[in-house]
Amino acid sequence: MEIIHSDVLVIGGGLAGLRAGLAAQKRGQQVIILSLVPPKRSHSAAAQGGMQASLANALKGAGDNEDVHFEDTVRGSDWGNDQEVARMFTHVAPKAVRELAAWGVPWNRVEAGERTVIIDGKPVTLTESADAHGLITARDFGGTRKWRTCYVADGTGHAMLYAVSDQTIAAGIPVHERREAVALIHDGERCHGAIVRNLIDGKLSAYVAKATCIATGGFGRLYQATTNAVINEGIGAAIALDTGVVPLANMEAIQFHPTAIFPAGILVTEGCRGDGGLLRDVDGHRFMPDYEPEKKELASRDVVSRRMEAHIKAGKGASNRFGQHLWLDITLLGEAHINHKLREVKEICQYFLGIDPAKQWIPVRPAQHYSMGGIRTNADGAARGLRGLFACGEAACWDLHGFNRLGGNSVAETVVSGMIVGEAIADFCASTAGELTVSTALIRQCFERAQSEFAAIANHHGKESASLLLREMQATMTAQVGIVRHGEAMNAAVNTLQDLLLRSRDLGLSGRRSGADPELTLAWRLQKMLKLALCVSYGALQRTESRGAHFREDYPQRNDADWLKRTLASWPNSEQTLPTLNYESLDIARMELPPGWRGYGTRDAIEHPLTAGRQAEVEATRAALASSDRHAVQAALMPFRHLLPAHLRGDNARIGQHPGENA
Amino acid sequence: MITLFRKPKPGAAPRRLTLHILRCNPADPASKPYLQAFELEEAEGMTLFIALNEIRATQDPSLQFDFVCRAGICGSCAMLVDGRPALACRTLTRDYGSDITLAPLPFFELIGDLSVNTGKWMRGTAERLQTWIAQSEAVDLDALEARMEPALAEAIYELDRCIECGCCIAGCGTAQMNENFVGAVGLNKIARFRLDPRDTRSDAEFFELIGDDDGVFGCMSLLGCHDLCPKELPLQTQIAFLRRKMAVTGLY
Amino acid sequence: MSQIAKSSPLVPPALPEAHRQTGIPELARQSLNESSTRKSRWPARLDLLQSLSGLFLALFLVAHMAFVSSILISQELFYRVARFFEGEWLFGQPYPILVSLVAAGITCLLVVHAWLAMRKFPAGYRQYRAFTAHKSRLRHNDTSLWWLQVLTGFGLFFLTTIHLYDMLSQPSMIGPYESADRVWSGGMWPIYLMLLFTAELHGGIGLYRLAVKWGWFVGDEPDAGRRRLRRVRHVFSTFFITLGLLTLLAYINLGRAHAELAGERYVPPGNTLNTTVNAGKH
Repeated sequence: MEIIHSDVLVIGGGLAGLRAGLAAQKRGQQVIILSLVPPKRSHSAAAQGGMQASLANALKGAGDNEDVHFEDTVRGSDWGNDQEVARMFTHVAPKAVRELAAWGVPWNRVEAGERTVIIDGKPVTLTESADAHGLITARDFGGTRKWRTCYVADGTGHAMLYAVSDQTIAAGIPVHERREAVALIHDGERCHGAIVRNLIDGKLSAYVAKATCIATGGFGRLYQATTNAVINEGIGAAIALDTGVVPLANMEAIQFHPTAIFPAGILVTEGCRGDGGLLRDVDGHRFMPDYEPEKKELASRDVVSRRMEAHIKAGKGASNRFGQHLWLDITLLGEAHINHKLREVKEICQYFLGIDPAKQWIPVRPAQHYSMGGIRTNADGAARGLRGLFACGEAACWDLHGFNRLGGNSVAETVVSGMIVGEAIADFCASTAGELTVSTALIRQCFERAQSEFAAIANHHGKESASLLLREMQATMTAQVGIVRHGEAMNAAVNTLQDLLLRSRDLGLSGRRSGADPELTLAWRLQKMLKLALCVSYGALQRTESRGAHFREDYPQRNDADWLKRTLASWPNSEQTLPTLNYESLDIARMELPPGWRGYGTRDAIEHPLTAGRQAEVEATRAALASSDRHAVQAALMPFRHLLPAHLRGDNARIGQHPGENA
Repeated sequence: MITLFRKPKPGAAPRRLTLHILRCNPADPASKPYLQAFELEEAEGMTLFIALNEIRATQDPSLQFDFVCRAGICGSCAMLVDGRPALACRTLTRDYGSDITLAPLPFFELIGDLSVNTGKWMRGTAERLQTWIAQSEAVDLDALEARMEPALAEAIYELDRCIECGCCIAGCGTAQMNENFVGAVGLNKIARFRLDPRDTRSDAEFFELIGDDDGVFGCMSLLGCHDLCPKELPLQTQIAFLRRKMAVTGLY
Repeated sequence: MSQIAKSSPLVPPALPEAHRQTGIPELARQSLNESSTRKSRWPARLDLLQSLSGLFLALFLVAHMAFVSSILISQELFYRVARFFEGEWLFGQPYPILVSLVAAGITCLLVVHAWLAMRKFPAGYRQYRAFTAHKSRLRHNDTSLWWLQVLTGFGLFFLTTIHLYDMLSQPSMIGPYESADRVWSGGMWPIYLMLLFTAELHGGIGLYRLAVKWGWFVGDEPDAGRRRLRRVRHVFSTFFITLGLLTLLAYINLGRAHAELAGERYVPPGNTLNTTVNAGKH
């Protein structure tokens, strides 16, 4: 048994994992990063449209600040998120963008003078100020009141991932590529690292560390129609679930992106609509203003996706031999704009659809895109249930996004949470709690358990086929736990998935390949993915309300009175076929922004009894501090800066304003 | 767009495709590379991503290949398609004959079948060429960012679009003969950082990295890199530009 | 706050060698670590020299073709051109040794150019196989052209040596009859025919590659620029091969007509001084 030691083990080489690793390493901790694929191939690279940060450089971003970003994020989440975390995030996001700028990300910049943009289908001339010339510009995105999304054409994630990855190489952090963490080493209280499988030769080894951070991204591959990369199978979350003591939160909160090309499911960025693109139906009619007169195409993703599905159901979908879809029209943006700012979109359309988006409409239909839920952590990224385990990025439920995430907030979350969680990891390692006390007996026990898991599958010779069961799971999830949900369908889905879970214990592999057999890998992952699918579907079935992306036809109202709480799913006994669900209430008394109407979507929430009281309190505080600056008001309502690492607490500078000065 | 001309007529029976795949398992010392033929029915809009996954799901679950984003963005799936490097995920079968030969990228370490270890080589090259912004001062995270001309930012992004897929290396005549050659991917990165005002290195410092026959002077201008780059990076002009700068540096 | 930011600087620390991943050949990595010693400038100079020598040779080839093709206009013109290069215009009488000197210079340049170019050729059978396999797999125009350049380069080295030896050893034997006799009666025409094709292809491709290598005449649109350069290359090679064939044909015709009198030296009309040197053949 090979044992590899480090201070910090980061599982996942995407933006979140790399950034957390960098932060810990800069504090003097020795870091090893594990990655399924070379880190620059991580799914972070596929984030196209941009990253939200309230720099307020561009004309249409004027007046933006952390407060506006915070409110947009809370409204976007449908009040499902953690408001302190949202505050931490919106405060650090500008710092993250600026740090990335210094690391070489070629953010698009403000060009002083007149330029023509498309707003609401019409050309509008904007005059950017000379003051802002050369600073980082921003584009419009859904669910935001300001143009806040900083971007690098439509390759933002790529540029960010390359810059951060290059910094980790500069820092000499080893990334062990083509490695998959298959189990956590733990004793039910403390996590000591992970058992890791080499995907080249199939060998297992033990990575022992003071702190372990899971940053493995989302689990879109539970679904058939998804924009996610094929590696987004949620194994990081699954091995946390397997411990039996670490809960996964809000697994039912799944985002569907409105514009995935049909039928391939490849994403075209929200930037298309942010820059002025329109959604059209079979008659070429622009239908979104009919449903959402205020935000139109730029309502939040959950709302737009739902409206699109409803419109298709109303018989207004266009169709091709693969089924029904709608059209995304970006022809009005002009060829020059598409060639410079939407070139990945152009390439995708050319290669996968054989069309020129400057001349033809793009067939789109919503597809699974993001998992708001994940490993439940505290504000510093420490996972619940096991000391020494941390999580960040999409794999975590830090709970920035609640039940719906705003476009541009996830790629921002990766780096921001990496910056914050990496510091917490370093603090933990430096503290007495971080001291390594693991016994080799425990390591061996975990190692042998993992080994026997693989051996059991390889030597079982049952009758089921892993790839068939996988397809059935994906089809079930897309059909029955999708955008529009219903109790009956979800009940059926839960039964189907339980059945699949049982059948997955009777797999028969067709042949054995020496080294890392892809068939064995798939078979092993399938069982993990089925458990996650059950967390999603069972959690969704139990949540008898609609909130954000979780929409139920049978319970169409948001119900703050009963459901202002997080679902916590755990799997204490491996023989269970359903997760154990617990709930964690959100504390209205501590909310800076008490529940209300989002400003888009339906307005029919069932109010929580404490909402009105807190609302009055907030208003009173605001009135009492009317002459104070906005930071003082904010601090009186819900202090958060103490939760941040000291060097991230400072005020953010904006043009026409110096640090410490307030607008 | 050639694809338009090859679109099958509506109603025509789907083609039977034969994929000839070079199989090899280096983990098994006894195994020898061989071509294995797989037949399948072509579907509309079928890419090699779809075809290979169908083969793995229904015919041979041990077939090794690499896909990640399956959208032409991550650079994982480069392989030789009928002898030429291409991203398999966005290669449409309708652009090819009914017999398609697939082989792993040459030059890189073979993992098995169509899977090669490009990541290891790319990390090594990044370390060797120091392709990152080297900074001497700490960034003040609270202050306004340094300004940059919008056109310069776009020009940097143009070179930053490289996805490290390895097609340029597989298409490079020099790399076939000199395994130490940094290739277009390495040279393009130097050009990218040289253009970036945040990188303060001088030409003399860049010369230390690429001023030899494993670097820019090893390039014979066969331009396989330029012609086969899936991201259509301006490799021809960038390498020529670097050559001029490094040649001038070499005179002193 | 900013004080704290400075106390934990966001600067990547020096690279700990133990953390390095494999993937770089050891030699390359050593050169990375020895950055305190300045890298040799010779690769840059040799690269420049290869291009410059190639450029000069290609231009010489163009000029040479222009001179020899003067036969197409008149025998006398060619005679005058030959005497011109023997310095008659300067010294009042021809000095064939000047031709020898030029031939010697070209020979040196050729050797230098060949040596520089050969550094890029496949070294050994393994590299040869690797490249030819790559070329046939790739079916890529510029890659195949380079192979053609390698082959023509090899050919040229032998063919030009023969020609240059003639010019070195018998510099005075340049003239309409003298040259034509060498072509026909001396049986050299197959050599010249091969030389024509190899030299013009090699030179044409070489000039094209020089342009793309250094980024000349590319313009704003590199792909369009390269297409333009390709057209120029085609025109260049076609023009000079055609001109060369016509010229060679003219020498062959003249040589055949003059075969009976082979060895007789050309005397331009109106020249009273008989400078004929009997070459030993009657």
